Amino acid sequence: MKAKAKRHTVLVVDDEPAVLLTYRMILDQQDYQVLTAGSSAEAMQALGEHPVDLLLCDLSLEEQQSGFEVIDFARRQRPLVRSVLLTGYASKDVSDRAEKSGVSVLFKPTDIQEFLATIKAQLRISDEQNKKIG
Amino acid sequence: MASPQMRVGARVRIANRDERRLSTFGRRAAARLLDAERSGQIFPILLEEIVVLGFARVMVAGVDFETGDVTASASIGFPKNLLQRFKTSLYAVDNPLIGVLHSLQPAVLPSGPSRKPLYCHPILFRARTQCRETERPPERGCLAADNQQRRRKLSLPEQVCPTCDLRAYCAMVIVELSKGTAERDLAELRDLIELANRCLGRLFKLEHYYDRMTDIEKLRRAEEVVRRDRDRLNLIIENVGDPIVVCDSNAKVVQLDPLATELFGAEKDPSRDPHRIRNQAKLDAYISAFTFSFSDRESGPLKLFDPATRTEVEFDARSGKVYDERGQVAFTVTVLRDLTAVRKLEQLKVERRLLEMEKFAATGRLAGTIAHEVNNPMEAIKNAVYLLSGKVSNEAVPVYEILKSETERVARIVRQMLSLYRNAEQVDNVNVNSVVEDTLSLFSRQLQRASIRVKADLGPLPPAVGSADQLQQVFSNLVVNARDSMEGGGTLRVRTRYINGADPVRGLIVILLGDTGSGIPCALQESIFEPFVSTKGPKGTGLGLWIVKGIIENHGGKIAVRSRPGKGTVFKISLPVAR
Repeated sequence: MKAKAKRHTVLVVDDEPAVLLTYRMILDQQDYQVLTAGSSAEAMQALGEHPVDLLLCDLSLEEQQSGFEVIDFARRQRPLVRSVLLTGYASKDVSDRAEKSGVSVLFKPTDIQEFLATIKAQLRISDEQNKKIG
Repeated sequence: MASPQMRVGARVRIANRDERRLSTFGRRAAARLLDAERSGQIFPILLEEIVVLGFARVMVAGVDFETGDVTASASIGFPKNLLQRFKTSLYAVDNPLIGVLHSLQPAVLPSGPSRKPLYCHPILFRARTQCRETERPPERGCLAADNQQRRRKLSLPEQVCPTCDLRAYCAMVIVELSKGTAERDLAELRDLIELANRCLGRLFKLEHYYDRMTDIEKLRRAEEVVRRDRDRLNLIIENVGDPIVVCDSNAKVVQLDPLATELFGAEKDPSRDPHRIRNQAKLDAYISAFTFSFSDRESGPLKLFDPATRTEVEFDARSGKVYDERGQVAFTVTVLRDLTAVRKLEQLKVERRLLEMEKFAATGRLAGTIAHEVNNPMEAIKNAVYLLSGKVSNEAVPVYEILKSETERVARIVRQMLSLYRNAEQVDNVNVNSVVEDTLSLFSRQLQRASIRVKADLGPLPPAVGSADQLQQVFSNLVVNARDSMEGGGTLRVRTRYINGADPVRGLIVILLGDTGSGIPCALQESIFEPFVSTKGPKGTGLGLWIVKGIIENHGGKIAVRSRPGKGTVFKISLPVAR
């Protein structure tokens, strides 16, 4: 439907299958190329295999694994990857850390409109960055 | 002028003529004089009897021992103007009358006011025997007896009895003689006056003792009243329950109540233990500083060792100065208040608050845990509802709408509960005014859109200790509530003030936040701060004000609300700050 614009690839990481599935369906509706991962290992594998434009990652994954680690891994792969942290609660530490590393934070339960707007805005930034380099 | 005086006394021989008539007169006069029961009756009787003796003009001049004045006090036959003019003094030694008075002997002056000789007879309080009062040791003599023996002068200080404080009387009887007055008549006159003086002296003494008795009785009664008052006062002092110390103008202890004696020991007790001596030294230092200061009242802390419990006790010493009539410090009174109980109560309060805070935090943690567990399923449900939009059959749309709105409501509750959990931040100095300003600017566009005017009146405030984020949450909650209550627009007023208050160590920051909105229904006003109580129906969670209250109480503060349905609502928050 958008001939000239290349489809953005979004990787969603969440350990709750139901949440993951619904995110995927919503993003499919928005015509993104959607990849999903149910654990940090899966996420890292997917990051290794595909060029991802945006990483949507839950903060609390399996034990001792946090969304930050997945984000750090993704940035090592592609330094310009945009990322959004999804979380049910954020202590001061988490929001400080997210702010410092330029990660936007969405609080669950999210507002769908806000969720989509944030994704759109992040992808626009990603595009601009690519243009500058390219 | 030394006038030629003709002595009349014992030496004058009485002529033996018509003795019977005279003695009849004399006996009658004596009976009348003896019949008198008041000293005031004596002179009138005497004057009358002198007239009966055949003398036309007679008067009595009294000496006022206070001033030394000699004035006429009673008379028969003398013209009135003469009496009024008759005024001399004990010190007018040129006056022949005064000369006679000082001599204390009767004399005849050759010419009076109407060129006739005057018989002058001074009388003075005297008695032949000492009065019984002098028999009681120590012996101090008797004025009456001394006057009889002429051992005292006719002077003001001399004429006071050393035993009974009686002040003597002194007068002079002046009788105008005719040219042919016989020696015998004079002798009779003299005897009559002497008799009158004896009667007068006795009545005078009697009256003096009677007066003294009355005075003593009065004094005794007054003393009784004073003693009762003093006993009552002592009873009060002993039962105040706080040690009381009274010191003089040199900061020396004058009086200790029993409790103070416990602390400081009796002043003269040589076996005082060292703790008491140390206590005394501390007290002395405090009281000296106060006594020689310029302030009327003072209070200060005093740490003393309590010998009863063998512990150090903190006292609050309160002192005041008592001035004498010249405005100089007469005494200082110091009351020591044991602060142990007060401190204990304070400690208890702190502990209770900590407990409350812990409870609040635990509730928060529980809410957070539940919310967190609910959160992920919620996210999936919400997303699923979103995905279903536009895909349900027409008859299922109302059901779908219920699903959607109720899901949103649960989402809101979960968000609120999580906000409680997020509040685990560190505490810092907070500028309340800037938090208020930040909150207002955060909502400024929303408020503008709802046609709500904001009137902020922020007074200068000291920093409060707390969490800026939590306080911002408080103000945000209240601002949102205010906005929601003013659907057709209105005014939001915010005022901050610093109040010194009665507490010596803490002041208060008071924040008032008022709206002109729909108000809180009376039935809800009592429970508005309890969880799940809301005025907003399904739109509200009923958690906002509960969290607000929790946060304010965590800060040691208080929140109160006043609301009139249809008029508006005012929230008053007070936060304690160190002075």
